[in-house]
Amino acid sequence: MSSIPSSRRSGPSGVSSVWRDGLSVSARHWLISVASVGLGIVVWHLAAAVLVRDPVLLPGPLTTIEVLIRYLKTPYPADGETLIGHALVSMARVLVGFVFGSLIGIAVGALMAGIRGFRAMVDPFIEITRPLPPLAFVPVLIVWFGIGEAPKIILIAAGIVPVMAISTAAGLDGVPKDMLNCARCLGASEWYTMLHVRIRAAMPQIITGMRLSVGLSWTSIVAVEMIAATSGLGFVILQAGQFLNTSLIFSGILIIAVLGLTIDAALRRLQWHLDPSMRP
Amino acid sequence: MSGETGARVEVKSVSKIFRRSRQLTQALASVDLCVEPGEFICLLGPSGCGKSTLLHIVAGFIVPDDGEVRVDGVARTGPGADRCMLFQSPTLFPWLTTADNVLFGLRARGVVTSESRRRVDELLELVGLGSFGDHYPHQLSGGMRHRASLARALINRPRVLLMDEPFAALDAITREAMQNFLLELWERERTTIIFVTHDVEEAALLSDRVCVMSGRPGRIVATEEITLGRPRDEVLRDTAEFVALRRKLRERLADA
Repeated sequence: MSSIPSSRRSGPSGVSSVWRDGLSVSARHWLISVASVGLGIVVWHLAAAVLVRDPVLLPGPLTTIEVLIRYLKTPYPADGETLIGHALVSMARVLVGFVFGSLIGIAVGALMAGIRGFRAMVDPFIEITRPLPPLAFVPVLIVWFGIGEAPKIILIAAGIVPVMAISTAAGLDGVPKDMLNCARCLGASEWYTMLHVRIRAAMPQIITGMRLSVGLSWTSIVAVEMIAATSGLGFVILQAGQFLNTSLIFSGILIIAVLGLTIDAALRRLQWHLDPSMRP
Repeated sequence: MSGETGARVEVKSVSKIFRRSRQLTQALASVDLCVEPGEFICLLGPSGCGKSTLLHIVAGFIVPDDGEVRVDGVARTGPGADRCMLFQSPTLFPWLTTADNVLFGLRARGVVTSESRRRVDELLELVGLGSFGDHYPHQLSGGMRHRASLARALINRPRVLLMDEPFAALDAITREAMQNFLLELWERERTTIIFVTHDVEEAALLSDRVCVMSGRPGRIVATEEITLGRPRDEVLRDTAEFVALRRKLRERLADA
């Protein structure tokens, strides 16, 4: 706890609550989380082995892992990709759509924060599209763009633009006026203040928007892969379902979970890097 | 530290009207004010009397409808590094360490040299944060943040310091410490200081001259020279002279 200044007036209680029983609060939180995941797996195993006892209805965790490992190398369907291949295809679609959507969303949000008229113009569109499920647009996107990569990427991007625009605009709006004035009277130009103070101060909130967007991207891609694709994790899950290969469905879901967590961890790491107050 | 002293600040018949939802509020009506180089003045008035608006106009954040601000005889229309403002909250940049916060002024003006780091260390030492340079703002206490923002303001060697109730949000003990610290600093540097407050005691304790303002429209209705000797310390607060002065200012404020 070297970071807490010694001359702070806050009495001894502030420090002692951090260390109790030899474990820090964060270590304890982490331990409980790990134990809870472990417990979940045990419950899953018991439900599969004792209650259901039918791998088609509910395969246990061991069967799922076994199938997962088998299909990492074996193509599924026989003339298709391996699970690794499908995962890479889905991941590439998500990343491309996510990057495009984020960039457009951030630009729209910045304009909304900067130009009042633009906000009035864009607001109704955002309000209308935000509650709509992206899936509703799949058929029309297929009519317009066919079943190639374009409709998939456009669907992901379109799904996250409103989220990114709103969080960017909110982040930029939330920067206190005094902080901007302060930069100006320290000799910063208007341009320097915009770039190094206003946008910089809004970064943590923009990344929060990105974290929400990653989840949305996965929702969109799996859905569209189920409707119009011949590769990707959504496609595998749908195929496996049609052949009652439940453990492969679970494997696909597991991979999506791991990939989603990985991207989120990377974004969280970035946020941690940009926002010192997240650190102890 | 610097051979340069404070600048003369002249406010000439400045007026400002705010329009908010079809309602007009006359914030300032033809305010005149002249602050001598190195003088410490307080603008004293109730909340909403436009004292903060006046300070923002001097800083260049708000453009007056009428009148002008001159610094050493030169009309100024926008913000500049010669007049630095300190706000009620320290407004440190939370993503920068204390040392980088202090360095901001030089970096923003593109005048960082090999000397700069030493100057930052000097300033941190001056405000008693010598060993906190690599701490982030959220790791500092309230009083320390205010001292850090003071160090940040001083990096550009401003000739005028504008202070907008900078200590209002601090607890009584920290506030007193900051007031003494500011006086010490001012006696050494002789920067011109315009200090906005609604605290009668603070105004009497700190300044050479108190300008009492009235609200709606904001005007300076009375000016009181403070003839108490300097340096001023805690003992002074309890003397009969100080108590009498405080009462007089309070009466002026009530009349306003």
